[in-house]
Amino acid sequence: MATLELPRRQKVTPFTIWMSGLVLLLVVGAIGMAITLIYGLQVTGLRDQVPWGLWITHDLSAIALGAGAFTFSAVVYLFRMKSFEPIARVAVFIGFLGYSSAMLVLAMDIGRPDRFWHPLIYWNVHSVLWEITWAVILYSGVLVAEVFPIVTELKFFDRYPKIRQFGHSLHRFTWVFAIFGLALSLMHQSSLGATYGVLSGRAIWFKPSLPVMFIISAVAGGMSLTLLATLVVGLVRGVELIPRDLIRSIARVIAFALLGYLYLKLWDWAATSYYSNTPGAADALARLQATTPYTTTFWWLEIVLGGLVPAVILLWSQLRRNTAYLVSALALIIMGVVVNRWNVTLSGLVVPPQWSPGVAGGTLAVSYFPSVVEVMVSLGVVAYMLTAFTLGARYLPLFKKVEEQEAAQGN
Amino acid sequence: MTDNAKESKQTEPLLSRRDLLKVAGATLGTVAITELVITGPLSPAEIQGIERESHGAISGENEWHMVIDLEKCIGCQYCMWACQGVNDVPTDEMRWNVGFPEVTDNGTEFFMTRPCLHCSDAPCVKVCPVGATWTREDGLVSMDYDRCIGCRYCQVACPYDARRFNWEVSEQENPYQPTWGTAEVERRTRGVVEKCTFCEHRIDRGVEQGLVPGEDVQATPACVNVCPVGARVFGDIKNPESKLSQYLDNNDTFRLREDFGTEPKVHYVRPESEV
Repeated sequence: MATLELPRRQKVTPFTIWMSGLVLLLVVGAIGMAITLIYGLQVTGLRDQVPWGLWITHDLSAIALGAGAFTFSAVVYLFRMKSFEPIARVAVFIGFLGYSSAMLVLAMDIGRPDRFWHPLIYWNVHSVLWEITWAVILYSGVLVAEVFPIVTELKFFDRYPKIRQFGHSLHRFTWVFAIFGLALSLMHQSSLGATYGVLSGRAIWFKPSLPVMFIISAVAGGMSLTLLATLVVGLVRGVELIPRDLIRSIARVIAFALLGYLYLKLWDWAATSYYSNTPGAADALARLQATTPYTTTFWWLEIVLGGLVPAVILLWSQLRRNTAYLVSALALIIMGVVVNRWNVTLSGLVVPPQWSPGVAGGTLAVSYFPSVVEVMVSLGVVAYMLTAFTLGARYLPLFKKVEEQEAAQGN
Repeated sequence: MTDNAKESKQTEPLLSRRDLLKVAGATLGTVAITELVITGPLSPAEIQGIERESHGAISGENEWHMVIDLEKCIGCQYCMWACQGVNDVPTDEMRWNVGFPEVTDNGTEFFMTRPCLHCSDAPCVKVCPVGATWTREDGLVSMDYDRCIGCRYCQVACPYDARRFNWEVSEQENPYQPTWGTAEVERRTRGVVEKCTFCEHRIDRGVEQGLVPGEDVQATPACVNVCPVGARVFGDIKNPESKLSQYLDNNDTFRLREDFGTEPKVHYVRPESEV
């Protein structure tokens, strides 16, 4: 990102350097995907005891960080809080990129990508994953409908007025999409936590708080990514894309969401590990502490650096007004969400339940480390998101409303 | 809804007829939904009932269970190998029926084996997004390899590590398959999950021919037939005269991690049962 801040008008512009780097990563990702499709999932570091890893983490993170779309859509188009409008378009665009990345990664992660449509035909209404599949597919449709009108404002569509007209007519129904978006997101963002929370055989996961913690962290993380991306684009362009008042409001909402999240986590921990001592969970947590770094990363990366520190920065006006602090706080929150999704996924798997009636056999702990191919694919998908965002920020009218308003108000 | 109603009531003098109708409607709606949750089709009892039904309640004439007598077992591993031969599982990592030396907390050595437990309340059945695994009328947890999308949520859900994923194309020769015979089950394709079936192909064909699974070898799981000491007993728990029911009556048995609430259909006799 730093390269973007170099002065422009050189022969090799920072933009070309940045884009060449991304293209390189895209090629790396494409090679990784080809290897995965040709050789199957044996190229991953996964195994029967740890069947989910980096890609599921990537998938969960991309969806969580795409939550800014439904949050800001609901705030602006449903609750009619017009002051948030300048950030709604970019939020929807980032949401679309997040969900499309998640689907790309998921297509690699399932053993039979050719059967991705099966959940639509073969129903098991008792599976949270079935509900998630439907909600994610429908919500992706909502995002497409929300992004489409923005795309039709490109110069390219001057030649196709009918398509642009269709885009505009779609835009009039934004409030309908906001309702569906809110409902679908409340469903699947929480159910992604329930994916783990409903598994009675895995003591670390089995709790009703997981779905709630997933959606609150998604709202905080999604808003953070939206604001961070807006600030970075503003820095690169050297303009203020959204009013300071709005930055302040969003920062405070994020901070309160974080504090609520931390409060839930505190009680989640206190109720299951301090005031009570479920044998299964206590045993699994002890093994987790003995064999993995996840206890440390939970407290330091999720709670302190990903929650407390950014909450303080966002609420402390002197610190928040400093762009460096603000940007770091938002980046820390995003880091916290990603680490949380990794920790939740892996912690339940690497200390499997002891089912043998003896004391010697069975697996005490299994380890997982992503393979080179897994990393290649993930890098490629991140590069896809960055490339699309860079191009979108450059060519799409993501902040057009603001620019128009500024022109009108002479500010 | 109740909030709206309350708010409106506080400003009662200002309520128009239209608003009053809204409040009345909201109140009626709230009452209806609450009643629905307490006694109607969304009540816990009803949901449990619906769930049992759609999971394929064990409503058939038979319900197949297995006993594994850890006291009798000599650890020859024949059950593991027979399973691999019959079900065409060429590699040891993919074993459906696993076994390993174990020791109890008071020092008794024994050999632990574990097929799929065919849980009556199976976590894998609940989580499958496409219903590729389900509970049959006779209680077997069955799989449709043509429907599985390979998401591996069932592996994540199963607390007994009973499921295996086809990480690669399985092309190697099966060393457990005798030269004079062929495997009874087709090998699975890359990208799907598989697991022990209690040799359902034998049970289905056997029952069709009037044979009795657990008594007639042609209708009985390979691991049960091959055991040289009769440490595995198979049969119908709904028939009190079956070998299995008799064995359960005459021995103290337990099931693996009953605290999970999975209700497994494999029962174990403790390695030092006389203690």
